[in-house]
Amino acid sequence: MTFLLPPTPAGGRQPAPALRAAATALLIAAAAGGCGREEAFPQRPIVLVCPWSAGGGTDRVSRQLAVLLERDLGVPVNVVNATGGAGVTGHTRGALARPDGYTLTTITPELNMLHWRGLTNITYRDFQPLMLVNRDDAALFVRAEAPWQSPEDLLRDIRARPRSLKASGTAWGGIWHLSVAGWLSAAGLQPGDVIWLSINGAAPSLQELMAGGVDLVCCSVPEAQSLLDAKQIRCLAVMAERRLEGLPNVPTLKEGGIDWSVRGWRGLALPKGVPEERRRVLQQAIERVATSPEYLDFLRTAGFGAAAEGPEQFTTVLRNDDQRYGALLTGEAFRDVRRQRFGPLVFPVVIGVLLLAVLGALVASGGLRPIDGGQALTVRGLDLATWAVAWVVLYVLLAEWLGYLLTAAALLLLLFWRLGVRWQVAAGVTLVLVPATYQFFAVWLRVPLPWGLLGW
Amino acid sequence: MSGGLPQALELVFLDPAVWLIVLASAAYGVFIGATPGLTATMAVALLVPLTYWLGPVPALAAIVTMVACAIFAGDIPTVLLRIPGTPASAAYADDAHAFTQRGQATRVLGVCLLFSVVGGLFGAAVLMAVGHQLARVAAWFSVAEYFWLYLMGLSCAVVVSRGPVLHALLGLLIGLLLSTVGLSAVHTEARFTFGQPELFQGINFIPAMIGLFGVSVVLRNLFDLPARGESPGAAAVEPVAAGTGRKLFRLLGAVFGPAATLMRRRPRQLVRSGCIGSMIGMLPGAGADIASFVSLAASKRAGHDDATPPDPAEGIADATTANSASLAGAWIPALVFGIPGDSVTAIVLGVLLMKNVKPGPEIFESQSALVYSIYLIFILANLVLLPIGFLAIKAGGYVVRVPRRVLLPVILLFCVLGAYAINGSYFDVGVMLGMGLLGFALERRGVPLGPVVLGVLLGGPLEERFIQTLTAADGSPLAFVNRPLAAALGAICVVLWLSAALRGLRRQH
Repeated sequence: MTFLLPPTPAGGRQPAPALRAAATALLIAAAAGGCGREEAFPQRPIVLVCPWSAGGGTDRVSRQLAVLLERDLGVPVNVVNATGGAGVTGHTRGALARPDGYTLTTITPELNMLHWRGLTNITYRDFQPLMLVNRDDAALFVRAEAPWQSPEDLLRDIRARPRSLKASGTAWGGIWHLSVAGWLSAAGLQPGDVIWLSINGAAPSLQELMAGGVDLVCCSVPEAQSLLDAKQIRCLAVMAERRLEGLPNVPTLKEGGIDWSVRGWRGLALPKGVPEERRRVLQQAIERVATSPEYLDFLRTAGFGAAAEGPEQFTTVLRNDDQRYGALLTGEAFRDVRRQRFGPLVFPVVIGVLLLAVLGALVASGGLRPIDGGQALTVRGLDLATWAVAWVVLYVLLAEWLGYLLTAAALLLLLFWRLGVRWQVAAGVTLVLVPATYQFFAVWLRVPLPWGLLGW
Repeated sequence: MSGGLPQALELVFLDPAVWLIVLASAAYGVFIGATPGLTATMAVALLVPLTYWLGPVPALAAIVTMVACAIFAGDIPTVLLRIPGTPASAAYADDAHAFTQRGQATRVLGVCLLFSVVGGLFGAAVLMAVGHQLARVAAWFSVAEYFWLYLMGLSCAVVVSRGPVLHALLGLLIGLLLSTVGLSAVHTEARFTFGQPELFQGINFIPAMIGLFGVSVVLRNLFDLPARGESPGAAAVEPVAAGTGRKLFRLLGAVFGPAATLMRRRPRQLVRSGCIGSMIGMLPGAGADIASFVSLAASKRAGHDDATPPDPAEGIADATTANSASLAGAWIPALVFGIPGDSVTAIVLGVLLMKNVKPGPEIFESQSALVYSIYLIFILANLVLLPIGFLAIKAGGYVVRVPRRVLLPVILLFCVLGAYAINGSYFDVGVMLGMGLLGFALERRGVPLGPVVLGVLLGGPLEERFIQTLTAADGSPLAFVNRPLAAALGAICVVLWLSAALRGLRRQH
């Protein structure tokens, strides 16, 4: 198990180093407070928020950066996948994190779309951009045996039979959806002339393309590379300014007379309000990492596009993207597309009606009475159960302030006392279990358990 | 292609590093699997930085071994405490824990171990023998087929549950309704969030599962905990489970004996479960959890007509075979098309690409040594699971002997840690607590919890496929049945529902 052991100050069953480290941390904190300025940054693990799930492109880039940053900065850098809500969760969490420099976020173009769709109030202005670390061009893919040989063929077909072709590549309103909608608009068609299937992610969309469920997939080139190499799909066009190195025979949309290009990107950002010295430390570290041969090697072998653009350029990218997607999402042409025919309440209503029906049948037949042989709700039991519930609530309230070690130890002792465990047993179990769980979860598994009063 | 095999044998078996890594990953996997809240996906993601320094074969060995061991280890807390370590064990949580209450934990854990190993080997055999050809099947599945597949998984959860059908259905619908909280995957529009940004991501099923099974178990036990000074009242203690030294052989017999008998008696069912697991594992978006529910349902349905009531251990054996067999299945589309069969293989694809290995049909020609190595690793991983799993069962025996008043606070701490670990969010801890209270209330009224968990887990994908199918057909419900495969899967679902309804009616008379 030692292979996952990073240099963090806590020993599993050796309380001595943990105590020493805690004392050192306290001293440093006191010294820093006394001098009123930073002695050293960073001192403790940094969290890198990834708004997308483990295994996806953004996750892979984040994890690679985390490894390299960890080596550069000398503290653990932990990737946390705050997924869900089409990127809302992760971006919100990153923007609202404490601006102490210990939370970084991998931001993606969705940041500039979500607020236009009313899903969040967070915009790029809530972030301090550090560095843009990767760019990928959008491209159009069809099945190998599809009749279309060029994007013009496809447009002709769509014009002749609107709403007969189906496309996907990402969820509704995601970047590849906007890419297709913008392309159709630029060609003088309605964005709704192609039915967009809201499929989460490029991989399942490509699978749907192969199964014949959709006719067209728009996603970045590395996401489709394996199927392209396997000759299962063809690339009709790339939405880039010029032809791509890896696909020299595939034309750009521009060559067909339609001026439309889209690039996905990934970048690191801090929440607004991080002290300037800390920001500079991180900035320099990321610059070293993003231009390191290891990182560039990783991008090349994984098929990702290289990029390293500093805060000014990155801010320009963010501002331009925001205006462009804002115009598209709030524009006339996109309005009919914004509302899907089968709304978000269709499914819950179906389930709700079924639930009420079953519930009604059960209540009518008396099937919902407490079952035979169930326990009686004794006063003592209720008392203990209330303690257990309060226990969890107390943990949530106290952990961040007291830190994991103190909270867990105090609460364990409390519950042992309530349950009448002998104090020797209670103390022994607590002394072994709390540091052991810390070692296992926080050190080996990189769960960000808080230190609270003991340090940070 | 013939040159690949000797080279692969050399790569896997002659490299001491591979052996060391396999052993270490096996131990790591057992820990991960046995701790509710720690998922194999998360553990593999943590292994990824490590694989930067390893060659492709040791890197893949680490991942394959860890996942195989984690799926088995998920059965340990399921059997001993009725808290599923992974969702794949949720299907038989009640059945398995019933054995522990009768003091037969060792027997059922032995069944879980032996059948997991055999299931894993079966899956590996399928991957080797027909993986290349089978990959085509995954490409037949469009959104309509997936809709039926998810519905089939959910129906199976109702069919396999103990107790009345209506109660199970109620549990399932509650789970499905809970799954609609947050932004729907299709619309990305907020529902039932009451303005709470934390609820945008919906109810995460891992904290929900820990709450429903873990916290509710703690609460239930607190109600019948004897007062101070009374008899200790520890859970049924097994004399065999804690055997040491000389008793090792007796313990070996106790763990593997009944399991081996069971296996000899039912070879046909073993093959059926293995096939179910491989097929479901192969489909992107369906994995070990659905495989285990479907296989358990198949087992219970098949044994239904016999005059003698079926042994619950048979169902557990079939389900655990299927969930282990599904692991290798997920590699089929990943290797052949670069489409990950589950979140673990998604990460594996990333690792492969980093090692300059491009998945695709030609990988079987151009990288045949690597492909053979993967096959061998699957076999090795499952063989290593035998001794490691045996040790884990032996260690698990001690857990049952800890007095409940000491064990319950510890379980509660692990529940909190597990719920927090998945996303580092205190909100998830709150969700866990709420689900614990819900689970406690539902159980008191005879509603089984397995269907609730599966509802929360599959509600999102089911809705997604439902809306996608309707959207694709511009609103025509015919889209659900106008492809032959979709119609066939739909028919299976209808049969399942009819049989469940019949069972409900028969029980009333």
